[in-house]
Amino acid sequence: MSGAPLLAAENLVKTYNGAPALSGVSLTVRPGESVAVMGASGSGKTTLLHCLAGIVQPDAGRVRLFRDAALPVEVTALKDDARSALRRRDFGFVFQQGLLIPELTAGENVALALMLGGTERRQAEQAAAGALAALGLAGMEGRRIGELSGGQAQRVAIARAQVTGARMLFADEPTGALDSSTSAEVMRLLLQTVQGSGRALMVVTHDSEVARWCGRVITLADGVVVADTAGASGVRR
Amino acid sequence: MSTAASAPTRAVHASPLTVPLRIAWLLNRPGTTGRTAALLPAASFAVVTTLLLTVLAGALSFLQWGDRDGDLYLLLAGFALILLVLPLITLGGSAARLSARRRDEHLSTLRLLGASAATVRQVTVLEAGAQALAGALAGVAGYLVLAPFVQLIHFRGAPLGAAYWLHPAAGLLTVAVVVALAAVSSAVGLRRVAVSPLGVRTRAVPQRVRGRRVAAAVLIIAGCVFALMSPSASAVVALAVVFGAFAAGLAVLNLAGPWLVAVSARRRLRRAATPQALLAARIVLDAPKAAWRQVSALSMVCFTAVVAGSGAALVQGVPSEGLQDFLGQDIMTGVLITVVAGFLMVACSAGINQAATVLDRAELYRSLDRMGMPRGVIDAARIGAVMQPVLLVSIVSTAVPALLLFPLTGAAVLFEPLSMAFLAGSLAVGVALVRAGLAAMGPVLTGVLETGSGPRG
Repeated sequence: MSGAPLLAAENLVKTYNGAPALSGVSLTVRPGESVAVMGASGSGKTTLLHCLAGIVQPDAGRVRLFRDAALPVEVTALKDDARSALRRRDFGFVFQQGLLIPELTAGENVALALMLGGTERRQAEQAAAGALAALGLAGMEGRRIGELSGGQAQRVAIARAQVTGARMLFADEPTGALDSSTSAEVMRLLLQTVQGSGRALMVVTHDSEVARWCGRVITLADGVVVADTAGASGVRR
Repeated sequence: MSTAASAPTRAVHASPLTVPLRIAWLLNRPGTTGRTAALLPAASFAVVTTLLLTVLAGALSFLQWGDRDGDLYLLLAGFALILLVLPLITLGGSAARLSARRRDEHLSTLRLLGASAATVRQVTVLEAGAQALAGALAGVAGYLVLAPFVQLIHFRGAPLGAAYWLHPAAGLLTVAVVVALAAVSSAVGLRRVAVSPLGVRTRAVPQRVRGRRVAAAVLIIAGCVFALMSPSASAVVALAVVFGAFAAGLAVLNLAGPWLVAVSARRRLRRAATPQALLAARIVLDAPKAAWRQVSALSMVCFTAVVAGSGAALVQGVPSEGLQDFLGQDIMTGVLITVVAGFLMVACSAGINQAATVLDRAELYRSLDRMGMPRGVIDAARIGAVMQPVLLVSIVSTAVPALLLFPLTGAAVLFEPLSMAFLAGSLAVGVALVRAGLAAMGPVLTGVLETGSGPRG
């Protein structure tokens, strides 16, 4: 896929207690792309996601976000608070078990992402209801997280990740706690949020079935990219 | 022929506590425990023991007077001690929860290896007991350190002085009581924690508080009014009715408290305009009974402070001879000590509960941090979830007796404004103490957020 990049990493290096987690990883993600990052346990895939999203700082290398093609933001040069603000505004996250706040309702969990950015509560809740409805959860805004199935909870997490209008979505083992049919449904919805929206999706997974849904598959081993190939997303979709 | 190498390991008959004791030692050897989470309960028990010993020493010093005044002072001091027992029990339960949380991987691994739920429970109770023992011994040191200052406190116009020193047996007994209460309340507290081979989770059953609690409270009030208005056969019956009315007053607070906390949280939820306000209100609404339980001891302390403080202030203002010369001032001194001690215990207990909650939800908090939620928002939400009930309970438990006994409290404010201002100031200091206790748990949250950034995949 060609075109202006959305996110670019150059020569990322990260070590933990002297052990290399990333050893010079470079990659570019473009709008509309869905990228699966695969690798064995300890290969560095979650560390890569954390560096790209500004959750941890690499020891060397840089990450740039192209909000505006002419004026990229250097994520790795930002201070902690600025990186947090960037994550709230420009990145969306979906984690393995949703990690939603159990005391809040589904609607409030989604609205919270907007409220953190300063949106007024009523407006945020309306937008949240719309995002939930788009993912097949219309009328469920008032349900507590404990009252939802695993698949429904993950859909709430997807709504939360996209409601802010974030263009770069990160998903860390988003189907790890789901059965195969629910996993397929979650992946379909994740990809649906990317198609034609100018967004990009990066999925960290160890499951090749999940990776097959994506348009591109990057494979890591010992902190190094060993393969960067086209995925089989067209087959499943 | 069997050799040592080939023979199967045989179970050795031992006392029922041998296995839990060995496991508890294995898990708690020096160098194996997380420092903050291990120190917190012990430090709290140290504070509790220091406070108990100080109040007890003050109370027993009255025995040395050997007159009827001493008996009255002893009775009042005994009452103050009873007020401090409830927060102590709450603190024990909180410490047990934290103990289970910080050792979750160890405990669930024990279950995976086949340890029974009872063994795991015993290990945790033993841990809580050991922490309480370590804390209580440090508390004895605290009592000794405080001695030069407490000995300056005046009762009946003279400093406590050497009468403050407790007999070593009384000190040992206090340590034993603290350890026993910690163990018992930890066993009770553990009922809310599920230790399975897959992990440790706090049992979170959404709680509902029904309005019928208020109906029961109204019935109790009606019963008290009836009893108080009935002609009493004797002074003993009258005294019993007065004590009964006091107990009933507290029962009313306990019945209506959770309902009141829930109503207030619902109101805050409707008005919440910020993420932290929304979160704090929802956390309280999720478990209003637990939110109340954590701060319920304050209701007794505030209730007593207003009633006894107003009475004492008025007595202070009346010119008198003999005992009454000092009684008002001395009761006021006792009330202030009890208020500070009560709030300190609630501060410890709330702080420990917060630490347990933060550990309980480590993964959730990490995910919120990764999503860009400012730490200040998480902090404000967890602090607000405790401070809202604290403020509510303090205000209601102060206002209700102030209004019910308006002739008494009104006169006290009118004639002894300085004493009453001092009393109000001590309540405000108490609330600030709880707030400070919660703020002190910030490093636990920071630690949890920072441990999540290591390598995983």
